[in-house]
Amino acid sequence: MITQRFVDLVRTIAFKKGMPNLNQRFTFTPHPVATRTREECYKFVRGNDPVTGKPIVDEIIAALTKPLTAEDKKTGFMTRPPRSRLMEPDTPTNLAQLFYKNGWTDGLPIVLPTEERVAEMLKGTSHSKNENVGTMRPSPPHEAWEFDVEMVATNAVMAGAKPEHLPVILALASTGTTSLFSSTTSFARMVIVNGPIREQIKMNAEIGAMGPFNESNAVIGRAWTLISKNLGGGGTPGETYLGSQGNNLNYNNVCFPEREDALPAGWNPLHVQKGYKAGDSVVHTLSGWSLINGGGWIKPRNKHIQQMLTGLFQSGGNGSRAIVLLDPIGAKDCHDEEGFETKEKLSEHLKKNASSPAASYFRRSGDMLQKAKEGVEPFATWLKYPEGTFVPVSPFRSEDPIEILVVGGATNALMMVGDFSYVASASVDKWR
Amino acid sequence: MKSRICWFLAGAFLAMVVFAGSVFPAAEAKITVLNPLGVAPPIRLVPMAQRLDSLDGKTVYIINIGMGDTFLPELQKVLSERYPKTNWIFKNKVGSYFDDDPKLWEEIKAKGQAMIGGVGH
Repeated sequence: MITQRFVDLVRTIAFKKGMPNLNQRFTFTPHPVATRTREECYKFVRGNDPVTGKPIVDEIIAALTKPLTAEDKKTGFMTRPPRSRLMEPDTPTNLAQLFYKNGWTDGLPIVLPTEERVAEMLKGTSHSKNENVGTMRPSPPHEAWEFDVEMVATNAVMAGAKPEHLPVILALASTGTTSLFSSTTSFARMVIVNGPIREQIKMNAEIGAMGPFNESNAVIGRAWTLISKNLGGGGTPGETYLGSQGNNLNYNNVCFPEREDALPAGWNPLHVQKGYKAGDSVVHTLSGWSLINGGGWIKPRNKHIQQMLTGLFQSGGNGSRAIVLLDPIGAKDCHDEEGFETKEKLSEHLKKNASSPAASYFRRSGDMLQKAKEGVEPFATWLKYPEGTFVPVSPFRSEDPIEILVVGGATNALMMVGDFSYVASASVDKWR
Repeated sequence: MKSRICWFLAGAFLAMVVFAGSVFPAAEAKITVLNPLGVAPPIRLVPMAQRLDSLDGKTVYIINIGMGDTFLPELQKVLSERYPKTNWIFKNKVGSYFDDDPKLWEEIKAKGQAMIGGVGH
């Protein structure tokens, strides 16, 4: 049984999972049902499938008892249409329209990937164009698509990248992380770059680092979205992308380099924290939903960060991990005035002193909600707390750090916090 | 006179060329571009589980995967009323949509003959 909004999704998944006939045994319910009253559900269960018009209960019984056909029992493999390396020749205007209509762009104009442009792009790496880079899928239930160096270079051209950007884009693609994770909750992604490559391709970590001002920041982030659609088999709304409202951050995936020159003494850049050497060039992917901005006039900084994190999770932030993006002024204050000698010490302090709004705690902890409903203490008492009350449980998982990054132009001690968490890192040097 | 006519004709010709060029721009040349798509894997066909010839005496699990607390228990109630010789068991799968629940699948294989999965919001 599936709620009505996911008709296309389940039919696509059933096909890709090798059960194309299964869609004849689906029963659909009105959508949504999770938040409906008992009275509404009483009517729904006794009513008709909104897609087929047949009684829901009759359909379920038929799905359980109707004998299988020969098609239902089939085994073996279904082959996909062969992939041609080149598209049919056409005019640039028609090809641009074709790419857009096929869902191969982000809606903005692209650079058409001619053979000459892709050949030029491939000069940015020493790797063979046919070398396999990896696989990617929109989310765990979906199939993974494979891709090679030339396919990544093709999408890099489309995004407006230059050959010098290709090693970063290849490294990003090699993580296998999609930027368009298919969930109804409209995920966003983040790209952080560390090491000498930041200077070599003139990325911007200073004023406006996360804004639309720098070519490298812009095209690397954009390329990831095109790769996630075209090489990761994702980004088709209703089938391989379900974000109810979508996320504007996906256009560029918050791509920026960490401002390593402004890190206080003892604060390691993210790639060193993840086990790389300081001289390595590394790209990282992070996953979350949203960022909120904090004013620079509140001290101590760590208390302010704490308040912002609480606000984020109180107002519906998802997950149980977080990121703090500090302007160099705020980072210096945390280090010099508040005594946080390392990022790790600040991260641990923030985690230990955090508490959870009761509502968001139970939203994230289904098992504890069940215990609370069964009368198990202290959960049963916490469940009765009035709205806005906090429970003495950190919203952050003990095994995961709150990631601390320094970025910005030191024009103000502003900071951002978000419900982003670390996903993966990959060496850029490997793809030079 | 002759030269005036020649100059007039030459001017008219040039004007026509310019006019035609602006009204009928040169057709775009066709170009070849690379396919931007990756390679989708082959699909392995999975035969469906054998269906039940009768529901009598059978145990059928109703598994909740995100459909809330109300709809599927109501379904269990209706099915139990209409098919009283069948044991209808309602259970929640643990975790989010993406989390596996191997213990539950093992229980269903061991104790049940069929399962209805409810997925959605």
